[in-house]
Amino acid sequence: MANTATVDELGHSPEVQGKNYLNQTAGVWSWLTTVDHKRIGIMYLVTVLVGFGLGGIFALLVRLELLTAKKTIMDATQYNQAFTLHGAAMVFLFIIPSIPASLGNFFLPLMIGAKDVAFPKLNLLSLYLFWIGAVFMLAAIVTGGVDTGWTFYVPYASGVSTTSVISATFGVFVMGFSSILTGLNFIVTLHKLRAPGMSWYRMPLFLWSLYATSIIQVLATPVLGITLLLLIFERAFHIGIFDPTLGGDPVLFQHFFWFYSHPAVYIMILPGMGVATEILTTHSKRRVFGYKAIAFSSVAIALVSFLVWGHHMFVSGQSELSSAIFSFLTFFVAIPSGVKMFNWLGTLWGGSIKFTVPMLYGIAFLFLFGIGGLTGLFLGTLSVDLHLHDTYFVVAHFHYVMMGSTAIAFFGGLHHWWPKMTGKMYDEKLARVGFALTFIGFNWTFFTQFILGTRGMPRRYYNYLDQFQPLHAFSTYGSWVLGTGFLITFICLARSLKSGAPAPANPWDSTTLEWQTQSPPITENFEKAPIVTLDAYERPAEETA
Amino acid sequence: MSAKAEALGGAGESKLSPQFHVAHHFDKADTQFDAGRMGVWLFLVTEILLFGGLFCAFAIFRSKYFPSFVEAHHHLDRVMGGINTIVLITSSFTMALAVRSAQKNETKKTTLLLAITLACAAMFLVVKYFEYSHKIHDGLLPGGNFTAADFASGHPGIFFAIYFMMTGIHGVHVVIGMGLILWILLRNQKSEFSSRYYAPVENVGLYWHLVDLVWIFLFPLLYLVG
Amino acid sequence: MSTSHAEHDHEHGHGSTNGDHVPHVLPFKVYIGTFATLLFLTVVTVAASYVNIGHTGNLIVALLIATIKASVVALIFMHLKWDHKFHGIIFVSALLFLAVFIGITMSDTEFRGEAEAIEAKNPVDLKDPFKAQRTGDIAIPKEIAPAAGGSAAPAAGSAAPAAVPAKH
Repeated sequence: MANTATVDELGHSPEVQGKNYLNQTAGVWSWLTTVDHKRIGIMYLVTVLVGFGLGGIFALLVRLELLTAKKTIMDATQYNQAFTLHGAAMVFLFIIPSIPASLGNFFLPLMIGAKDVAFPKLNLLSLYLFWIGAVFMLAAIVTGGVDTGWTFYVPYASGVSTTSVISATFGVFVMGFSSILTGLNFIVTLHKLRAPGMSWYRMPLFLWSLYATSIIQVLATPVLGITLLLLIFERAFHIGIFDPTLGGDPVLFQHFFWFYSHPAVYIMILPGMGVATEILTTHSKRRVFGYKAIAFSSVAIALVSFLVWGHHMFVSGQSELSSAIFSFLTFFVAIPSGVKMFNWLGTLWGGSIKFTVPMLYGIAFLFLFGIGGLTGLFLGTLSVDLHLHDTYFVVAHFHYVMMGSTAIAFFGGLHHWWPKMTGKMYDEKLARVGFALTFIGFNWTFFTQFILGTRGMPRRYYNYLDQFQPLHAFSTYGSWVLGTGFLITFICLARSLKSGAPAPANPWDSTTLEWQTQSPPITENFEKAPIVTLDAYERPAEETA
Repeated sequence: MSAKAEALGGAGESKLSPQFHVAHHFDKADTQFDAGRMGVWLFLVTEILLFGGLFCAFAIFRSKYFPSFVEAHHHLDRVMGGINTIVLITSSFTMALAVRSAQKNETKKTTLLLAITLACAAMFLVVKYFEYSHKIHDGLLPGGNFTAADFASGHPGIFFAIYFMMTGIHGVHVVIGMGLILWILLRNQKSEFSSRYYAPVENVGLYWHLVDLVWIFLFPLLYLVG
Repeated sequence: MSTSHAEHDHEHGHGSTNGDHVPHVLPFKVYIGTFATLLFLTVVTVAASYVNIGHTGNLIVALLIATIKASVVALIFMHLKWDHKFHGIIFVSALLFLAVFIGITMSDTEFRGEAEAIEAKNPVDLKDPFKAQRTGDIAIPKEIAPAAGGSAAPAAGSAAPAAVPAKH
């Protein structure tokens, strides 16, 4: 407090002016050996953006191929590989690590007033594991591709496919360890390193969502590990557990796979919900409505997510009893999701909403998650799913949730925290253009696919009936708009790095702790270890009076 | 114990575990110790669920191919399995005692106990080697590699698939555990551990006990009841 | 730097009394007692497997003994009994989720294909799935023919089934 008088116009006190985590040491080696959670977060950010670019290119190729009903640019085998690699890259290289490993790593310790995560070296190890896994996946692309779909279903993946399935699955296996270690680190950090006064109910809600995510990462990912290990052994040594000709059970693979991968859907969406909460409260200057409801609904979603995996398997030949149980349980996910939705709207109600770039993403999130979530109910209904299963309706649904919600929240978070991470402001106008094209292009591409799906267009088809061609072409045009939107966003952010105006410590007038330190923060995060006296979204008395 | 540490260490650096210091982001040593332990417990959760997948497969296929499982399990060697159970329990016991002696600053005793633990682990693997080579010789192998002829029931290959996956992954854990025990044994030789700082011994101990726990379930399920 | 730190950070890096970890040392006899128990239970479980009480009976006995052994190892060797309660919660939650995993998966594998027997008794003509309702022994007026399965409110879907055959 004594330093207030000498603080410069950007909020930096004299001792740390010009110092930050980016410039305290220099050189590639200092980055590769760093244990600073902020630098690790930045390296994750760069990696996931590369993964996003890779998956995006495959997406555009897939859409381009579907422009016409017969062959457009690639043959059927290449098409199978393109959609597999699009899915695998987007899921494993982008969405799963996107928010937790990049934004989470960077902001979790800052938001609780800690100097680092509990196990900084383990954090670096998890980044290296992620890279190693990514290398195996890239190796699979180079050495023959993968054409099994990102789900690696047997018996095709274990016996029939001639592509590099082992390399790809081993890559995912290794990345699973990375995910586990990140989750483990976050849980321990939140339990042990909260600053004095930072009680559980004073934590920003982003951290509650990360906590819930971490629970899933720790509990579910090992099952993916054993599944992929069994798949690799099945393929290499014919151990027979999933092979029907040897008495094995291919549907068992689907149980194993979805016991992880359904909760993994919530690994993807929960952090997005957390980011949206931060954005909506900050840019409407309103305390979060129903703090505890949002906090516990995150945990509830995490727990319920373990009970519903079989809704991916309604037509797999699983027992009718299972299907009925899973369909019933699936509806329970809607309760905490609805709780969140209404509390977000309650937060906005009566707030002084500023349509800043992050807020635009935040509101887009509400809209797109609304559509994505509600269409999920159609698919969770057993009788409806029998008709919609494996159609473009499903494709549209999960793109609304994965891309429309998580990726939009990720980019919203990126714009929200960009000044803090880089110390630079970005060109608001250009960012708005990027957002607008993304939003329009997204709905253009994927809302069309809801219609395609309800008319019976199956997913993953190379050739299709002529009657679907106009809608497919329309969707492909949308994907170009969407791609342009992201391109402009990237250009906007890259330009800000080069020539952006310096960012103040707290450009959005936010109340959470990460804004109470310099932009960008010093290596130790805070000059003085903070002592927390207010709730996360509570303003000091003199401000509100 | 801490009073003793204080007395020996005096102000500032202690003679016990001189190179130990609290990492800068923890407020005190106790928090750091607790954080490490919590991390290991969470890691053990992942181990339980990793093996859990195989236990799930065991339950399902046992129910599906019950006669095969009963017939196949008679081909496992109960004596060897029993010996290995006792060996692992003994190693768990010595590991627990090693943690205790580290807590009491008995460095030499810790080394000895860790060495015994290591020897037990090695013995476990030797017995496993004999079991495996016997199975391979008889063609009692997973799924498509199963060649033993004199089986009355339909799917013994599935039993051996689960047997080899379970014991194989467990064996890998034993090998990793041996590496970890060796690592703390060498560090202990350099007097790095004491009542003031013994977290690595404790945490490797927790891991080792989990390896024992898994075997406690594997042994009756695979060898005794099938 | 250190002067500007908050109070809780002062003992940073030094082995002061209040910050140090104090080990909880158990008496030797606890360990030897546990060890003896484990050895004894191993002998019991092997012996019990020679007593034939039915396959399910043997399985239950074996699992029961294994669970006791595992609990002893977890509580005493792994110090869970004296540890933070939260570590115990972590451990138990792993078992709980494992039970969910195995339990729900078996709700599939144990009951698979049960509808086939019912379908075999009442074969459905795929080309005309509602024929049975129209011509069967239960007289249902055409305009309120129920939806497939018959559980949904019949009136709601009345128009749809009638329209389907007309399309063909």
